[in-house]
Amino acid sequence: MKIFTSRYKLISVSAVVFMLLLWKGLALYFNSDFILPHPEGTLVRTISLFGESQFLLIVGATILRGVLGFIISLVFGVVFGILAGVSRDFNAFLKPILVVLRSTPVIAIILLALIWLNANSVPVFIAILTMFPFICTNTIDGIRSVDKQLVEMAWIYKVGRFRIAKEVYLPAIMPFIISGASSAMGIGWRAIIIGEVLSQPRYGIGTVMQSAQTFLNVDAVIAWTIIAVLLSYVFERIIRLTEKRIVVWRD
Amino acid sequence: MGLQIKGLSKSFDDLLLFSNFNMDFAEGSITCILGPSGGGKTTLLNMIAGLVKPDSGSMLGFNGKVLSYIFQDPRLLPWKTVRGNIEFVLPHSEPHSQRESIANSLIKLVELNGFANYYPSQLSGGMRQRVSIARAFAYPSDLILMDEPLKGLDVKLKMSLLRSFIKIWQGDKRTVIFVTHDVDEALMLGDSIVVLGNQPIDIKARVSIDIKKHLRDIGSDYFKNLRGILHNALND
Repeated sequence: MKIFTSRYKLISVSAVVFMLLLWKGLALYFNSDFILPHPEGTLVRTISLFGESQFLLIVGATILRGVLGFIISLVFGVVFGILAGVSRDFNAFLKPILVVLRSTPVIAIILLALIWLNANSVPVFIAILTMFPFICTNTIDGIRSVDKQLVEMAWIYKVGRFRIAKEVYLPAIMPFIISGASSAMGIGWRAIIIGEVLSQPRYGIGTVMQSAQTFLNVDAVIAWTIIAVLLSYVFERIIRLTEKRIVVWRD
Repeated sequence: MGLQIKGLSKSFDDLLLFSNFNMDFAEGSITCILGPSGGGKTTLLNMIAGLVKPDSGSMLGFNGKVLSYIFQDPRLLPWKTVRGNIEFVLPHSEPHSQRESIANSLIKLVELNGFANYYPSQLSGGMRQRVSIARAFAYPSDLILMDEPLKGLDVKLKMSLLRSFIKIWQGDKRTVIFVTHDVDEALMLGDSIVVLGNQPIDIKARVSIDIKKHLRDIGSDYFKNLRGILHNALND
């Protein structure tokens, strides 16, 4: 088992090496920092970003928007998901809304949000609209998947409604909510950064990426992209760790 | 005081399962119900449990009775440990320490010492069914309903589970209604064994056994004879 884990790790690491080599090869081919800077220079640039005076402000602003959007969509997604999972009527009402939300191009929502809202709230708004359907749909699936036989068992043993909700339904839907949260987060960061690029709030990763692009600082664009990828990765890990701590019964 | 089913009728769609069906159960003893698979035995239990409403007829003495149910599948909560699953059904009006000590004593009785903190996914099928039995006895019920809980287990496991069951049952002599299609299980457990026929269901045979359960040797001539009677009634 251990041999296999390290074997797959090795293969994964070699994929990263492959991407870096490909990058290096292309950089050598184009031989222009305005088209594609060299990886080592860009990595140095990325590390130097951490030392910039406004780094924390910029990344912090993006994280704040992400977390805010995530929490709002989590609360609404779970509440609406539970309601739709319990009531067929509400589900019939919610379904078309979810379909519309999911199939509307993100850019269309951004263009409208730019008209309606101020620069700081546009990315949050976009994030909510893109994350909410994931969490909501998964919660509905979770409620549907609850084993009716377990509910019947609890009912026969005269366990109260509140405890059935808390000890039968909630743990059953937890893995669904977490996996919904995980896909939502993945999409959410991208949506936030697109939102920032277009709405140009004072601080934000998207904001600095946009200005770097304007001045053809390609290395800076890539460096900030790397920061964005790291950010997404860190939050994905946080969600996975939370899952491990909550879903202890699965082995 | 006994429990009585009087003039019970129930049909599903066009299928008449019960028509003016009568049966009684002695309290403080085990009544085994034998019958062909899929013949409506589960429906009978579910009507007793109040999960299914009969079309007509009355259930005398069942009103207000508190039930435990041992299902065909153990129906354990995957996110609760062995102890947690047993504590789950115990009335929360009692303090936690009390519930925990009840759970612990039942875990001991079903011979799952050391597994109290295991999750169902970490147990074998037979062990899970032991937890389900422990849960049923831990619950302060007047009546335990059992729906073929040993189905699908191998013979050795079945026998060891039956022996554990008998041991626990002798501790509190609760009223048990045990549905099965296995004649030997009925011979080991039943104070009274009832054979049901085909739809509309009627009683084909009824025998009583006075021998104490832990002293029964179902290989003996006495039981061979009973087995013959029950098989005949089943195949009738």
